[in-house]
Amino acid sequence: MTSLIWYLYDFARKAWVDGFLDAKSKEEILDKPDRFRDFPVVIKENCIGCGSCTASCPSPGGVRLVRDEDTAEAEGLIYPVIDTAACIRCGFCAEVCPSTPKTLECGENHFIQEEFNIIPSKRKYIIDDYLCIKCDKCVDACEVGAIEEIDGRNVVNQAKCISCGKCLDACPVKGAMKGVYVNNLEEQKKIIKMTVDTLEKYIESKKDDLDNLPDDKLYLAEIKFKPIYDKALTILNDEEVVYEVLEDAINRLNIRVIIWDSDECKKCQLCIPDCPTGAISFDSEKDTIVRDDNKCLRCSICYQSCPFGAINYFLAKFNLDVDKCGEKVIHISVKTSPLAKARRR
Amino acid sequence: MFNSLKDIVRKSSIHVCLVNCGGCNGCDIEVVALLSPKYDLEQYGIYFHNNPREADVILVTGPVTDQWVDNLRRIYAKAPEPKIVVTLGACPQTGGVFGQEGGRVNAPVSDFIPVDAAVPGCPPRPDEILAAVLAVVPGAIAAKGRAQDKGED
Repeated sequence: MTSLIWYLYDFARKAWVDGFLDAKSKEEILDKPDRFRDFPVVIKENCIGCGSCTASCPSPGGVRLVRDEDTAEAEGLIYPVIDTAACIRCGFCAEVCPSTPKTLECGENHFIQEEFNIIPSKRKYIIDDYLCIKCDKCVDACEVGAIEEIDGRNVVNQAKCISCGKCLDACPVKGAMKGVYVNNLEEQKKIIKMTVDTLEKYIESKKDDLDNLPDDKLYLAEIKFKPIYDKALTILNDEEVVYEVLEDAINRLNIRVIIWDSDECKKCQLCIPDCPTGAISFDSEKDTIVRDDNKCLRCSICYQSCPFGAINYFLAKFNLDVDKCGEKVIHISVKTSPLAKARRR
Repeated sequence: MFNSLKDIVRKSSIHVCLVNCGGCNGCDIEVVALLSPKYDLEQYGIYFHNNPREADVILVTGPVTDQWVDNLRRIYAKAPEPKIVVTLGACPQTGGVFGQEGGRVNAPVSDFIPVDAAVPGCPPRPDEILAAVLAVVPGAIAAKGRAQDKGED
């Protein structure tokens, strides 16, 4: 009997009447979960123009690098642009972006929040939510209880953190716990740019080997780490910071290398109007095509427009390692693009 | 009087035909999620048929493989006027992950049939699909229907 009364009472409630008269879903269906990756956000000023984002994008045309026109005061800014028609919201571009702070942000975890901390420290500890496996080893290791769980994610409370670095040692996942240097971002940017340029020059100097590379083989090379490290120290004289920035950047880098074969070039000039930044020009006096390295975005459009396969492009990845003699070396693996070869034949 | 009655009926009863032109099925699964109690698309008067003869709206997913080029045009021709085409996801707009160098896809869909609205994302969230269909379709059907009625008169 009572259950029947409760049943009838249910019909008398306002919520039931409202639901009956206006049977629509509630606003909550518009809520996106915190971990949902929406279209990446671009912060133009941080971009170093390395092209990692375009190389990592699985969807052709999802992310492009563009360059503003030069003005009288300053050179044009290089920055990535997300095409929402092609972007698949995977967040790879945000993950590979080597600039610190990141140029591309996708999801919540890449924000570096400036909060007050009384401990004078060069580092700021943040947890990369993409990589964190929630093993809570850092929570156990932390002596002051600065790592808290908020909305199911482990977060470092900057007000409590004493920058002891114990969480960094405890973390079993490489890169999930980050000690980011926040003081000298401009210098860090310069170091990364210098590293990218050096590695690119090195690969370009191995042009002859790369030309004879079979399609299904990787070209493997090694370059000494010491000269790059020494050069980086001249930009920023802090061994700890320089080493970490270099290691982090090198292991994440994934760049396109455009190599020009001037013997194959028929000087048809088809690539000149196709270049989005005007980096290619024709020198009529010397009868050669000139490419401005500083303007080049490594977008590989010239490679696609060249009908003679004179422009070759390679995908390069890097890994910092120790060789047999105990010396630090950078392993380089280069993959060829099959199209240019097929055209030449 | 008759036209306004037609408008009301067309707005409150939208019949949808889902066409997968060779995609990965991800967008189709998001559409299936729309049928779940949480989103419940029929409360908005949207009904699924998968039959172009009954459809007001053709939802196109996928990057249009070679086999689909003619079939897509045929499906579009079979739908009665007024008809709306909404594309879902990155594939029908640009080819998405399938539009690689040397790929055999014929995106965009707008090369073959007129497209009224495009929902970006890979795949789009169910609420994004719902919002797009509700924002575009009733007005577009009413407008197209009226233009067609005038043409017949």
